Amino acid sequence: MSERRGGRFATEPQFVRMPRNWGRKTSLFQWRQPAFWLYAVIVVVTAVYTISQQQLFQKLSPSGWALSWGLLILYGLPLFLAIYLLDLYEREPMSLVLGALVWGGVAATVLAGIANEGWGLVVAHLGGPVFAAEWTAALTAPFVEETVKVAGVILIYLIARDEMDDMMDGFVYGAMVGLGFTLVEDVFYFIAIFGGSPGGVLAGFYVRVVSSGFYGHVLYTGVAGMGVAYFVSRRGEVAFGRRLAVALGLFGAAVAAHFLWNSPFLNFFPSSVNTFGDWVRIPFAAAVKGAPLLLFVVVMVRLARRRERMWLETALRSEVDTPWLSEIELRVLLDPSVRRRSRREMRARAGEAAERLLKRLQKEQVNLAMIRTRVASDDDPALVRQRALCGSLRDALLSMPGAALAATRREG
Amino acid sequence: MSVEAEPVPLPAPPLRHRRWIPVAALAVVLAAVTSGGYLTADALGEVQGGAVAVNASVRVTPFPGWELAGRSSDPDRIRLTSGSTSLDVAALPFDGTDVDLLRQYVDNILEPDAEQFRVSEEVEPVRLASGLTGSRIAYVGLFGDVQAPIEGEVTAVVSPSGQGVIFDGWAPAGQLQFEIDEIDAMIDRAEIA
Repeated sequence: MSERRGGRFATEPQFVRMPRNWGRKTSLFQWRQPAFWLYAVIVVVTAVYTISQQQLFQKLSPSGWALSWGLLILYGLPLFLAIYLLDLYEREPMSLVLGALVWGGVAATVLAGIANEGWGLVVAHLGGPVFAAEWTAALTAPFVEETVKVAGVILIYLIARDEMDDMMDGFVYGAMVGLGFTLVEDVFYFIAIFGGSPGGVLAGFYVRVVSSGFYGHVLYTGVAGMGVAYFVSRRGEVAFGRRLAVALGLFGAAVAAHFLWNSPFLNFFPSSVNTFGDWVRIPFAAAVKGAPLLLFVVVMVRLARRRERMWLETALRSEVDTPWLSEIELRVLLDPSVRRRSRREMRARAGEAAERLLKRLQKEQVNLAMIRTRVASDDDPALVRQRALCGSLRDALLSMPGAALAATRREG
Repeated sequence: MSVEAEPVPLPAPPLRHRRWIPVAALAVVLAAVTSGGYLTADALGEVQGGAVAVNASVRVTPFPGWELAGRSSDPDRIRLTSGSTSLDVAALPFDGTDVDLLRQYVDNILEPDAEQFRVSEEVEPVRLASGLTGSRIAYVGLFGDVQAPIEGEVTAVVSPSGQGVIFDGWAPAGQLQFEIDEIDAMIDRAEIA
């Protein structure tokens, strides 16, 4: 049977070049990687400053500080999950994802703070204090902050090269770096700029999260991270010059969007907030500056997801019409919304246990695709084991009352 | 009789050292970004080192990197800047306590010119190196046409001879923390007759 599948797999045209290491999981803690030690040293050193700053905020305004973090967890946790779950088929290792978050929140914020001040001196030298007061944020932060943030994505790649298979991976790591950065920066703004009182924190939350939360560092670094991922994952597929141009272009797009946000251009924010209309105007003003990049990211993410879907289909095509995967099941796997619907239907028909079993089967069928991409032979023991696991899960599901109908509908 | 085995080519030496190259390059980029601004600013020109007189009774010695950016009278006032951070020093005769002077400065100078103005609730007592005592508060707000919020720290000192001095260190939000130690040090060493 394996020969038949092997023959089909070999003879079918390969429309998509599969990543060799799709599905491999690598931890952040790569003790032999120099990149890990650079990451660790920078994070540990900058953490000293971050902790002292948070202690200062906590001392200045205990209630405001606690409220700030409470609100930001409400905002950050769903966003974290949304970013993490964006990668439909190959979720990134949690230690690397958290590593990216920590880089953004600890290392990038501190390095950017130091660097912004230094480059602010240059702006002031060249433009004078009045010019500097208005333009320093636009002329320093986009270049400085995007550089130190994307450095975190590059470090994650250098620590675990196998994990960055496609642009989607770069988006996930970049967005996580951006999320860490924006959470720590928001606490700073709530306490230092909006006064730190509960009312000030709520006002800050409205301005920086409710009105502007969809734009900003998560998008900037997500886009820059896609560029890094494109550069490193398309070796042998795309010429060096083009990979470099795309990576620099996406980094430039992140810098440009950040520049627009910080600059006085297209600034429709009210100069003071006194009336209800002023409060309503804030989200619209934020949308003018932030929506174009958001749309761009939506398009890029959809393209990246489509590519991953093609990979999954290519990897599993040779496994179809076997005891562990049917054609219909493959079609269901390829569409996340259909996958969710199939589980809901299973629950309605055969109960929660059947739904859980179907979820496990679908997960293992995706894992089968991962293993398929990284083994050389069709009878590799890991592949054989995974097929057996999928087959047994499928048998168990079919034996459950009410579940058989759904699982065998394909046969009709 | 012996059979000579054909020499097996040795494997290529491990390329582990190559792993250091991108890491070292990244470290250099990070170092350049974080320190490049200071080095460039230094290269663009250093600041004079001597004390700056605000009036006949008050002198302030700028730290390296700070320069005299402006001077005005009525009252006598100077502005020292370091990048986007400024320290305004005003000297005037004053018949009252340092807390009174601080309150008048906040009420009559800062607050009328600001939007969303907030002042720290507590007044912090300070003692200068000369032994003079004063009062200090922190503030944040939007001023004039500058779109970025400004955060600042005001210190008021009144000498026994009736010389009132206001030190107002300010910067765009987020920047003051990096210069506040130098501002406090310049205030601490101010010469007030």
